Amino acid sequence: MAQKSWMYSVLEAVQYEMQQDPAMTWIYELTPPVASNPGKPVINLETEFGRKRVVNTGIDESWMASAVLGAGLAGSRAATYIPYQGALMCFEVIQNVAGKLRHMTGGKASMPVVWIIEMTGQTPGFAGQHSCYEEDSYYAHIPGVRTVIPSTPYDAKGMMISALRSPDPVVYLYPAGLRTLTGEVPDEAYEVPLDKAAVRQEGSDITIVSSGGGMPGVLEAVETLTGEGMSVEVIDLRVLKEMDTETLVKSVAKTKRLLTVDQSYYTLCPGAEVIARVAENVDGARYKRVAFPDAPPPASPEMFVWMRPDADNIAGAARALV
Amino acid sequence: MGYNLKSSVLPVETGDAPSSESRRSFLKIAALTGAVVSVSGRRALANGDIGFHAKDLSDEKLIEMYKTILKIRWHERTQADQMLTNPDYRGYNHFYAGQEAVATGVCANLRNSGPFDQIDLVYSSHRPSGHAIAKGVDIPKMCAENDFRATGLNGGYAAEMHLSDPSVGFIGADGMIGPAPVIASGSAFAFRARGSDQVAVVFAGDGNYAAPHFHSTLNNAKLLDLPLVYVMENNLYHQYAHYSYSCPHKDIADAAGAYGIPTKIVDGQDVLQVYNAAKDAVDRARAGGGPTFIEAKTYRYYNHWGAPGAKAGELGAFGYDPLAINSFRPEREVRAWMQRDPVDIARKILVDWGVLDEARAIEMEAEIKAEIEAAFAWANEQPLCTPEDGLKHVFTEGTVPARQFG
Repeated sequence: MAQKSWMYSVLEAVQYEMQQDPAMTWIYELTPPVASNPGKPVINLETEFGRKRVVNTGIDESWMASAVLGAGLAGSRAATYIPYQGALMCFEVIQNVAGKLRHMTGGKASMPVVWIIEMTGQTPGFAGQHSCYEEDSYYAHIPGVRTVIPSTPYDAKGMMISALRSPDPVVYLYPAGLRTLTGEVPDEAYEVPLDKAAVRQEGSDITIVSSGGGMPGVLEAVETLTGEGMSVEVIDLRVLKEMDTETLVKSVAKTKRLLTVDQSYYTLCPGAEVIARVAENVDGARYKRVAFPDAPPPASPEMFVWMRPDADNIAGAARALV
Repeated sequence: MGYNLKSSVLPVETGDAPSSESRRSFLKIAALTGAVVSVSGRRALANGDIGFHAKDLSDEKLIEMYKTILKIRWHERTQADQMLTNPDYRGYNHFYAGQEAVATGVCANLRNSGPFDQIDLVYSSHRPSGHAIAKGVDIPKMCAENDFRATGLNGGYAAEMHLSDPSVGFIGADGMIGPAPVIASGSAFAFRARGSDQVAVVFAGDGNYAAPHFHSTLNNAKLLDLPLVYVMENNLYHQYAHYSYSCPHKDIADAAGAYGIPTKIVDGQDVLQVYNAAKDAVDRARAGGGPTFIEAKTYRYYNHWGAPGAKAGELGAFGYDPLAINSFRPEREVRAWMQRDPVDIARKILVDWGVLDEARAIEMEAEIKAEIEAAFAWANEQPLCTPEDGLKHVFTEGTVPARQFG
């Protein structure tokens, strides 16, 4: 066990799986699979496994996404790291091929592949095209593809191990803002399930649900609210597909108040699905969504910072609901 | 890979002297002998088999091109210095310094003012400031935009990677690798369909080669004979990776040639070579002759993004770029390219041709530097954006609701 960054934890998982499985491959563009961490050896997948297995390609996300799928269909586990550039350029093959293939083949297709899709855009000053926090909703909508979004270094490693071992294709959303987040992470390999939300704090007054890049703001708000005497239950979704309905329903059945927080756009944000699932199963609860407005993120920090949900917004919405 | 890495460090020299040296003296000889100026000869040709159109340019036009190069250069240098020395400055750039001759030589052939349905359209990349200036974008407003000001070119919504000004035909920067060329071909398609003689130009880097969009663009441009000029600025690196990681060709133009499109490789540091090639291309497109692919061999003096490794008051970046992680440009490579500087080359041509004397050329540079400094000073005085305005411009009218407060 040691303090490790999110980024290091993820590559530690990949490194371990590649050491165990000489057929496994990694494809990247621009973002070398290199990470360092105080007190730990530098991980460099390219030098460790060679350029046949670890490939630096041109800026062609369509190929990257398709190539790992093809590798998976040929029986080799494969993963690719798709940075913010055009994260949705690979959408077609994930949505219209991988998502449908197992079903279309009557269960014959096996796809042990992982698309690591970076989410950027929480830094003020990067406008429009370099902000892609909305993509959680797009991937969560696809049947047949497991879509996960860790928010802690521990989960980042454990869910990467599980994703790489899953015979189902996995979209592993990677919030860039969390890259440098550190936490206690075991050195050995371990799995975190791909279908369970995490209750980060138990409480009885209100349930706040968020995921990925939304979690730090939620935790900050909850600290304030707890200090004010509010009893808050905090749920980190971790998985968008298939969403852990049971944990959500159980919580709101108790608190009767549900606040969802997303950095994604308001319309069809993950919180919308959370509220729908809870509303179908819990009577007499109150609901609220905090999300980015339905507007592209503007470059100006004044506009962007105001539009982005932050701890103050979350705390304010929680107070209004309780 | 080694093949590309070694051989493409510098532009291939054919053994000819710099092409545009001593126009005036050459023209005298040409006039005496009655030689056809643009067909052959060791000295005067821009690039073998294309016309040396630049010889016909007026002094005013040549000076204007020189000034454009200087404006771009000093915009980049001034902004880099702002980033390095002014803690209140928030803007950033993917610097174009080193590549000035490409944007200048191409845009000097275009219609840059007039009614929107008559001017030529330029599509740019995430490295857009040089293209914007060459196309005629208002520099003070661009400076304000790059620093997120409400009175900036795009009201503070865009910033550097998304600059646009349709009024001068600068349809704009695209922060992504891929889409711009294909969209540019769509504008060319519209020109052809409506019988316009407008031309669409796209500037894209070597990184675009690997994207499917590159191939789709060229295929459809050729199939439909579109009035499109694809300007591939091969500055050797896509972000931090040498282009040999993404393209098996030494000359990317070889790939474009496979689509049946006329191609031309030019020294992107020499504005007249670029001008000559672009003139052929634009004339062809305007006359209904279809697309052309120009590969300009060039180089950027700064790292991919921002000013890491740069020092205030000095041109270029040589030091460590933390973002490059495992791939660095050799300092010698940067310095070797800086020996063939587009500003120096342009100035030497104008002095050699007697268009300017050295003293006036230097004086002109000081004037441009002051003009750019004034643009940044004006931008620094501009108001910041109003937060609530972020909800505007989602659709033609009205605002969308705030959702961040629940």
